[in-house]
Amino acid sequence: MPNDSSRHDPITIWKNQPTEPSTMTLLLIRSKVRELRARTRRESLGTLAGPIAVGAFYGFAIKEFHGFAPALELVFAFAILWSLAGLYFLNRGMWSRAMPGDAALSTGLEFYRRELERRQRLFRRALGWSLGPILLAIATFILYLAMVGGARFFPNGLPFLALVVLWIAAYFAMRMRGQRELQREIDELNEIESADGST
Amino acid sequence: MGGIESISTGAASQDDLYRNAADQYGSSLERLAIAYEADPEKRRDLSQDIHFQLWRSFESYDARCSLRTWVYRVAHHVAASHVLRERKIFSKLVSLEELEMLPDQEPPGHIEMDQRRNLERLSVLIQRLKPLDRQVIVGYLEDMDAASIGEITGLSPGNVAVRIHRIKNILARRFHQGGSHAE
Repeated sequence: MPNDSSRHDPITIWKNQPTEPSTMTLLLIRSKVRELRARTRRESLGTLAGPIAVGAFYGFAIKEFHGFAPALELVFAFAILWSLAGLYFLNRGMWSRAMPGDAALSTGLEFYRRELERRQRLFRRALGWSLGPILLAIATFILYLAMVGGARFFPNGLPFLALVVLWIAAYFAMRMRGQRELQREIDELNEIESADGST
Repeated sequence: MGGIESISTGAASQDDLYRNAADQYGSSLERLAIAYEADPEKRRDLSQDIHFQLWRSFESYDARCSLRTWVYRVAHHVAASHVLRERKIFSKLVSLEELEMLPDQEPPGHIEMDQRRNLERLSVLIQRLKPLDRQVIVGYLEDMDAASIGEITGLSPGNVAVRIHRIKNILARRFHQGGSHAE
Protein backbone atom coordinates (compact mmCIF):
# COMPACT_ATOMS: atom_id res chain seq x y z
CA MET A 1 0.00 0.00 0.00
CA PRO A 2 1.62 3.30 -1.02
CA ASN A 3 2.01 5.91 1.69
CA ASP A 4 -0.10 9.06 1.61
CA SER A 5 2.44 11.43 0.05
CA SER A 6 3.27 9.02 -2.78
CA ARG A 7 -0.45 8.66 -3.48
CA HIS A 8 -0.45 12.37 -4.38
CA ASP A 9 2.95 12.61 -6.03
CA PRO A 10 2.28 12.76 -9.79
CA ILE A 11 5.70 11.34 -10.73
CA THR A 12 5.18 8.31 -8.50
CA ILE A 13 1.63 7.88 -9.72
CA TRP A 14 2.77 8.13 -13.33
CA LYS A 15 5.73 5.81 -13.06
CA ASN A 16 3.94 3.19 -10.97
CA GLN A 17 0.97 2.82 -13.25
CA PRO A 18 0.34 -0.66 -14.60
CA THR A 19 1.26 -0.96 -18.28
CA GLU A 20 0.57 -3.68 -20.78
CA PRO A 21 3.80 -5.31 -21.89
CA SER A 22 4.46 -4.61 -25.56
CA THR A 23 3.40 -7.40 -27.87
CA MET A 24 5.72 -6.29 -30.66
CA THR A 25 8.18 -8.87 -31.86
CA LEU A 26 10.56 -8.60 -34.78
CA LEU A 27 8.29 -10.99 -36.67
CA LEU A 28 5.32 -8.72 -36.08
CA ILE A 29 7.39 -5.72 -37.15
CA ARG A 30 8.15 -7.36 -40.47
CA SER A 31 4.47 -8.05 -41.02
CA LYS A 32 3.84 -4.37 -40.24
CA VAL A 33 6.17 -3.44 -43.11
CA ARG A 34 3.95 -5.43 -45.47
CA GLU A 35 0.84 -3.89 -43.91
CA LEU A 36 2.28 -0.40 -44.45
CA ARG A 37 2.89 -1.10 -48.13
CA ALA A 38 -0.67 -2.43 -48.54
CA ARG A 39 -2.10 0.61 -46.76
CA THR A 40 -0.16 2.98 -49.00
CA ARG A 41 -1.60 1.19 -52.04
CA ARG A 42 -5.12 1.47 -50.60
CA GLU A 43 -4.63 5.17 -49.93
CA SER A 44 -3.48 5.65 -53.52
CA LEU A 45 -6.70 4.02 -54.68
CA GLY A 46 -8.66 6.47 -52.52
CA THR A 47 -7.43 9.36 -54.64
CA LEU A 48 -9.32 7.82 -57.58
CA ALA A 49 -12.54 9.12 -55.99
CA GLY A 50 -12.18 12.51 -57.72
CA PRO A 51 -11.90 11.27 -61.33
CA ILE A 52 -14.59 8.64 -60.68
CA ALA A 53 -17.06 11.26 -59.39
CA VAL A 54 -16.31 13.62 -62.27
CA GLY A 55 -16.58 10.74 -64.78
CA ALA A 56 -19.93 9.68 -63.30
CA PHE A 57 -21.38 13.18 -63.71
CA TYR A 58 -19.96 13.38 -67.20
CA GLY A 59 -21.29 9.96 -68.21
CA PHE A 60 -24.76 10.75 -66.91
CA ALA A 61 -24.84 14.15 -68.59
CA ILE A 62 -23.70 12.72 -71.94
CA LYS A 63 -26.28 9.96 -71.75
CA GLU A 64 -29.12 12.34 -70.95
CA PHE A 65 -28.24 15.46 -72.88
CA HIS A 66 -25.80 14.43 -75.61
CA GLY A 67 -25.32 17.16 -78.23
CA PHE A 68 -27.36 19.65 -76.26
CA ALA A 69 -24.49 21.94 -75.29
CA PRO A 70 -21.07 21.03 -76.77
CA ALA A 71 -19.39 23.81 -74.78
CA LEU A 72 -20.46 22.17 -71.52
CA GLU A 73 -19.10 18.84 -72.75
CA LEU A 74 -15.77 20.57 -73.19
CA VAL A 75 -15.96 21.82 -69.59
CA PHE A 76 -16.60 18.25 -68.42
CA ALA A 77 -13.65 16.99 -70.45
CA PHE A 78 -11.52 19.67 -68.81
CA ALA A 79 -12.75 18.63 -65.34
CA ILE A 80 -11.78 15.02 -66.07
CA LEU A 81 -8.31 16.03 -67.26
CA TRP A 82 -7.95 18.23 -64.18
CA SER A 83 -8.86 15.41 -61.80
CA LEU A 84 -6.56 12.98 -63.59
CA ALA A 85 -3.66 15.42 -63.22
CA GLY A 86 -4.73 15.66 -59.57
CA LEU A 87 -4.06 11.93 -59.14
CA TYR A 88 -0.37 12.56 -59.70
CA PHE A 89 -0.14 15.58 -57.41
CA LEU A 90 -2.22 14.04 -54.64
CA ASN A 91 -0.20 10.83 -54.61
CA ARG A 92 3.02 12.80 -54.54
CA GLY A 93 2.28 14.47 -51.23
CA MET A 94 0.02 11.91 -49.67
CA TRP A 95 -0.43 11.60 -45.92
CA SER A 96 1.61 8.58 -45.05
CA ARG A 97 2.20 6.79 -41.79
CA ALA A 98 5.80 6.11 -42.80
CA MET A 99 8.11 8.54 -41.03
CA PRO A 100 11.20 9.80 -42.83
CA GLY A 101 14.24 7.74 -41.84
CA ASP A 102 16.10 10.73 -40.40
CA ALA A 103 13.10 12.06 -38.45
CA ALA A 104 14.78 11.31 -35.12
CA LEU A 105 17.41 13.92 -35.94
CA SER A 106 14.70 16.59 -35.70
CA THR A 107 13.52 17.86 -32.36
CA GLY A 108 9.91 17.63 -31.30
CA LEU A 109 9.31 21.28 -32.20
CA GLU A 110 10.77 20.99 -35.72
CA PHE A 111 9.00 17.74 -36.47
CA TYR A 112 5.60 18.89 -35.22
CA ARG A 113 5.80 22.14 -37.20
CA ARG A 114 6.71 20.20 -40.34
CA GLU A 115 3.74 17.88 -39.78
CA LEU A 116 1.39 20.86 -39.36
CA GLU A 117 2.73 22.44 -42.55
CA ARG A 118 2.44 19.13 -44.38
CA ARG A 119 -1.18 18.84 -43.33
CA GLN A 120 -1.87 22.37 -44.57
CA ARG A 121 -0.27 21.60 -47.93
CA LEU A 122 -2.23 18.35 -48.20
CA PHE A 123 -5.49 20.17 -47.67
CA ARG A 124 -4.64 22.79 -50.31
CA ARG A 125 -3.66 20.06 -52.75
CA ALA A 126 -6.84 18.09 -52.09
CA LEU A 127 -8.85 21.27 -52.58
CA GLY A 128 -7.20 22.17 -55.86
CA TRP A 129 -6.78 18.76 -57.41
CA SER A 130 -9.66 16.70 -56.10
CA LEU A 131 -12.48 18.91 -54.89
CA GLY A 132 -11.93 21.57 -57.60
CA PRO A 133 -12.80 19.30 -60.56
CA ILE A 134 -15.73 17.76 -58.65
CA LEU A 135 -17.20 21.21 -57.96
CA LEU A 136 -16.71 22.19 -61.59
CA ALA A 137 -18.47 18.98 -62.71
CA ILE A 138 -21.37 19.58 -60.28
CA ALA A 139 -21.72 23.20 -61.44
CA THR A 140 -21.68 22.12 -65.08
CA PHE A 141 -24.23 19.41 -64.37
CA ILE A 142 -26.55 21.88 -62.66
CA LEU A 143 -26.13 24.21 -65.63
CA TYR A 144 -27.13 21.35 -67.94
CA LEU A 145 -30.23 20.68 -65.86
CA ALA A 146 -31.14 24.38 -65.84
CA MET A 147 -30.69 24.67 -69.61
CA VAL A 148 -32.67 21.51 -70.36
CA GLY A 149 -35.41 22.14 -67.79
CA GLY A 150 -35.55 25.90 -68.35
CA ALA A 151 -37.77 27.78 -65.95
CA ARG A 152 -39.27 24.47 -64.70
CA PHE A 153 -35.93 23.43 -63.22
CA PHE A 154 -35.81 26.12 -60.60
CA PRO A 155 -38.85 25.23 -58.49
CA ASN A 156 -38.15 21.49 -58.88
CA GLY A 157 -34.39 21.61 -58.61
CA LEU A 158 -34.19 24.21 -55.89
CA PRO A 159 -34.02 21.76 -52.93
CA PHE A 160 -31.22 19.85 -54.67
CA LEU A 161 -29.40 23.06 -55.48
CA ALA A 162 -29.79 24.34 -51.92
CA LEU A 163 -28.48 21.05 -50.55
CA VAL A 164 -25.41 21.16 -52.78
CA VAL A 165 -24.66 24.76 -51.86
CA LEU A 166 -25.14 24.01 -48.15
CA TRP A 167 -22.86 20.98 -48.32
CA ILE A 168 -20.14 22.94 -50.08
CA ALA A 169 -20.44 25.89 -47.68
CA ALA A 170 -20.34 23.61 -44.60
CA TYR A 171 -17.37 21.70 -45.99
CA PHE A 172 -15.43 24.89 -46.62
CA ALA A 173 -16.36 26.47 -43.30
CA MET A 174 -15.16 23.42 -41.38
CA ARG A 175 -12.01 23.05 -43.41
CA MET A 176 -11.14 26.71 -43.16
CA ARG A 177 -11.57 26.53 -39.42
CA GLY A 178 -9.19 23.58 -39.34
CA GLN A 179 -6.72 25.51 -41.49
CA ARG A 180 -6.85 28.53 -39.20
CA GLU A 181 -6.23 26.28 -36.21
CA LEU A 182 -3.20 24.73 -37.94
CA GLN A 183 -1.85 28.16 -38.85
CA ARG A 184 -2.33 29.37 -35.29
CA GLU A 185 -0.34 26.42 -33.99
CA ILE A 186 2.44 27.01 -36.55
CA ASP A 187 2.61 30.67 -35.49
CA GLU A 188 2.78 29.64 -31.84
CA LEU A 189 5.66 27.27 -32.56
CA ASN A 190 7.46 29.99 -34.53
CA GLU A 191 6.99 32.37 -31.63
CA ILE A 192 8.33 29.82 -29.15
CA GLU A 193 11.35 29.26 -31.37
CA SER A 194 12.10 32.91 -31.90
CA ALA A 195 11.68 33.65 -28.19
CA ASP A 196 14.09 30.77 -27.44
CA GLY A 197 16.55 32.13 -29.99
CA SER A 198 16.48 35.63 -28.59
CA THR A 199 17.11 34.56 -24.98
CA MET B 1 9.02 4.45 -49.68
CA GLY B 2 12.75 4.00 -50.05
CA GLY B 3 13.14 3.38 -46.35
CA ILE B 4 10.70 0.51 -46.42
CA GLU B 5 12.24 -1.09 -49.48
CA SER B 6 15.73 -1.14 -48.05
CA ILE B 7 14.95 -2.46 -44.59
CA SER B 8 16.98 -5.64 -44.95
CA THR B 9 20.35 -3.85 -45.08
CA GLY B 10 22.20 -3.90 -41.80
CA ALA B 11 19.31 -5.84 -40.27
CA ALA B 12 21.39 -7.43 -37.50
CA SER B 13 22.49 -4.21 -35.84
CA GLN B 14 19.12 -2.62 -36.50
CA ASP B 15 17.41 -5.53 -34.73
CA ASP B 16 19.89 -5.43 -31.87
CA LEU B 17 19.46 -1.71 -31.39
CA TYR B 18 15.70 -2.12 -31.41
CA ARG B 19 15.78 -4.98 -28.89
CA ASN B 20 18.05 -2.99 -26.62
CA ALA B 21 15.80 0.08 -26.80
CA ALA B 22 12.62 -1.96 -26.29
CA ASP B 23 14.15 -3.64 -23.23
CA GLN B 24 15.31 -0.38 -21.70
CA TYR B 25 12.42 1.90 -22.58
CA GLY B 26 9.51 -0.50 -23.15
CA SER B 27 7.48 0.60 -20.13
CA SER B 28 8.25 4.28 -20.69
CA LEU B 29 6.96 3.93 -24.26
CA GLU B 30 3.76 2.32 -23.01
CA ARG B 31 3.26 5.22 -20.63
CA LEU B 32 4.00 7.66 -23.44
CA ALA B 33 1.25 6.05 -25.52
CA ILE B 34 -1.15 6.59 -22.60
CA ALA B 35 -0.24 10.29 -22.67
CA TYR B 36 -1.33 10.52 -26.29
CA GLU B 37 -4.31 8.20 -26.64
CA ALA B 38 -7.18 7.53 -24.24
CA ASP B 39 -8.88 4.77 -26.19
CA PRO B 40 -7.26 1.40 -25.29
CA GLU B 41 -7.75 -0.11 -28.74
CA LYS B 42 -6.25 2.89 -30.55
CA ARG B 43 -3.54 3.04 -27.92
CA ARG B 44 -2.48 -0.50 -28.73
CA ASP B 45 -2.20 0.50 -32.40
CA LEU B 46 -0.25 3.62 -31.51
CA SER B 47 2.10 1.64 -29.32
CA GLN B 48 2.71 -0.84 -32.14
CA ASP B 49 3.31 2.04 -34.53
CA ILE B 50 5.85 3.54 -32.14
CA HIS B 51 7.73 0.26 -31.92
CA PHE B 52 7.58 -0.21 -35.67
CA GLN B 53 8.86 3.28 -36.45
CA LEU B 54 11.50 2.92 -33.78
CA TRP B 55 12.77 -0.25 -35.41
CA ARG B 56 12.78 1.48 -38.81
CA SER B 57 14.60 4.51 -37.42
CA PHE B 58 17.52 2.37 -36.22
CA GLU B 59 18.45 1.81 -39.82
CA SER B 60 19.97 5.30 -39.74
CA TYR B 61 21.00 5.54 -36.08
CA ASP B 62 24.49 7.02 -35.91
CA ALA B 63 24.84 7.76 -32.20
CA ARG B 64 24.79 11.50 -32.88
CA CYS B 65 22.51 11.73 -29.86
CA SER B 66 21.98 9.38 -26.93
CA LEU B 67 19.83 6.31 -27.34
CA ARG B 68 17.30 7.75 -24.89
CA THR B 69 16.94 11.02 -26.83
CA TRP B 70 16.58 9.07 -30.07
CA VAL B 71 13.93 6.73 -28.66
CA TYR B 72 11.89 9.55 -27.14
CA ARG B 73 12.12 11.72 -30.25
CA VAL B 74 10.87 8.93 -32.50
CA ALA B 75 8.11 7.99 -30.05
CA HIS B 76 6.94 11.59 -29.64
CA HIS B 77 7.04 12.18 -33.41
CA VAL B 78 4.86 9.13 -34.08
CA ALA B 79 2.49 10.09 -31.29
CA ALA B 80 2.25 13.75 -32.41
CA SER B 81 1.38 12.62 -35.96
CA HIS B 82 -1.23 10.33 -34.43
CA VAL B 83 -2.77 13.26 -32.53
CA LEU B 84 -2.92 15.30 -35.75
CA ARG B 85 -4.52 12.48 -37.72
CA GLU B 86 -7.08 11.72 -35.04
CA ARG B 87 -7.94 15.32 -34.23
CA LYS B 88 -11.62 16.06 -34.55
CA ILE B 89 -12.63 19.31 -36.20
CA PHE B 90 -14.23 20.80 -33.08
CA SER B 91 -11.83 19.41 -30.51
CA LYS B 92 -9.37 21.84 -29.00
CA LEU B 93 -6.07 21.08 -27.36
CA VAL B 94 -4.74 23.57 -24.85
CA SER B 95 -1.32 24.87 -23.90
CA LEU B 96 0.10 24.73 -20.38
CA GLU B 97 -0.65 28.44 -19.98
CA GLU B 98 -4.29 27.89 -20.87
CA LEU B 99 -4.52 24.82 -18.67
CA GLU B 100 -3.17 26.80 -15.74
CA MET B 101 -6.05 29.26 -16.15
CA LEU B 102 -8.76 26.64 -16.52
CA PRO B 103 -10.66 25.56 -13.43
CA ASP B 104 -10.53 21.89 -12.52
CA GLN B 105 -13.47 20.21 -14.21
CA GLU B 106 -14.02 17.88 -11.33
CA PRO B 107 -15.60 19.52 -8.26
CA PRO B 108 -13.48 18.74 -5.20
CA GLY B 109 -16.49 17.25 -3.44
CA HIS B 110 -16.50 14.30 -5.83
CA ILE B 111 -12.83 13.51 -5.77
CA GLU B 112 -11.97 10.06 -4.58
CA MET B 113 -8.27 10.22 -4.02
CA ASP B 114 -7.17 6.67 -4.64
CA GLN B 115 -4.22 5.78 -6.80
CA ARG B 116 -6.28 4.65 -9.80
CA ARG B 117 -8.45 7.75 -9.78
CA ASN B 118 -5.40 9.99 -9.49
CA LEU B 119 -3.79 8.29 -12.44
CA GLU B 120 -6.94 8.68 -14.49
CA ARG B 121 -7.09 12.40 -13.73
CA LEU B 122 -3.43 12.81 -14.56
CA SER B 123 -3.85 11.01 -17.90
CA VAL B 124 -6.90 13.09 -18.83
CA LEU B 125 -5.03 16.27 -17.98
CA ILE B 126 -2.06 15.29 -20.18
CA GLN B 127 -4.30 14.23 -23.07
CA ARG B 128 -5.79 17.74 -23.22
CA LEU B 129 -2.43 19.33 -23.91
CA LYS B 130 -0.87 20.29 -27.23
CA PRO B 131 1.82 17.85 -28.39
CA LEU B 132 4.81 20.05 -27.50
CA ASP B 133 3.59 20.57 -23.95
CA ARG B 134 2.80 16.87 -23.70
CA GLN B 135 6.42 16.14 -24.54
CA VAL B 136 7.52 18.38 -21.68
CA ILE B 137 5.10 16.93 -19.14
CA VAL B 138 5.92 13.35 -20.12
CA GLY B 139 9.62 14.14 -19.75
CA TYR B 140 8.96 15.69 -16.35
CA LEU B 141 6.90 12.71 -15.18
CA GLU B 142 9.60 10.35 -16.42
CA ASP B 143 11.99 12.23 -14.10
CA MET B 144 14.14 13.78 -16.82
CA ASP B 145 16.06 16.99 -16.24
CA ALA B 146 15.41 20.20 -18.20
CA ALA B 147 18.43 19.71 -20.46
CA SER B 148 17.29 16.21 -21.55
CA ILE B 149 13.74 17.43 -22.17
CA GLY B 150 15.20 20.33 -24.16
CA GLU B 151 17.23 17.95 -26.30
CA ILE B 152 14.11 15.96 -27.17
CA THR B 153 11.74 18.87 -27.69
CA GLY B 154 14.10 21.49 -29.16
CA LEU B 155 13.16 24.01 -26.44
CA SER B 156 15.87 25.86 -24.56
CA PRO B 157 16.51 24.60 -21.00
CA GLY B 158 15.19 27.94 -19.73
CA ASN B 159 11.95 27.52 -21.61
CA VAL B 160 11.63 23.93 -20.37
CA ALA B 161 12.23 25.14 -16.81
CA VAL B 162 9.41 27.70 -17.14
CA ARG B 163 7.08 25.02 -18.46
CA ILE B 164 8.02 22.60 -15.71
CA HIS B 165 7.29 25.31 -13.17
CA ARG B 166 3.82 25.67 -14.73
CA ILE B 167 3.34 21.89 -14.71
CA LYS B 168 4.25 21.74 -11.02
CA ASN B 169 1.75 24.51 -10.27
CA ILE B 170 -1.02 22.78 -12.16
CA LEU B 171 -0.32 19.39 -10.62
CA ALA B 172 0.04 20.78 -7.13
CA ARG B 173 -3.23 22.67 -7.41
CA ARG B 174 -5.16 19.74 -8.81
CA PHE B 175 -3.71 16.92 -6.78
CA HIS B 176 -3.09 18.47 -3.41
CA GLN B 177 -6.41 20.29 -3.50
CA GLY B 178 -8.15 16.96 -3.98
CA GLY B 179 -5.83 15.23 -1.54
CA SER B 180 -6.44 17.63 1.32
CA HIS B 181 -10.14 17.38 0.74
CA ALA B 182 -10.07 13.63 1.03
CA GLU B 183 -8.07 13.66 4.22
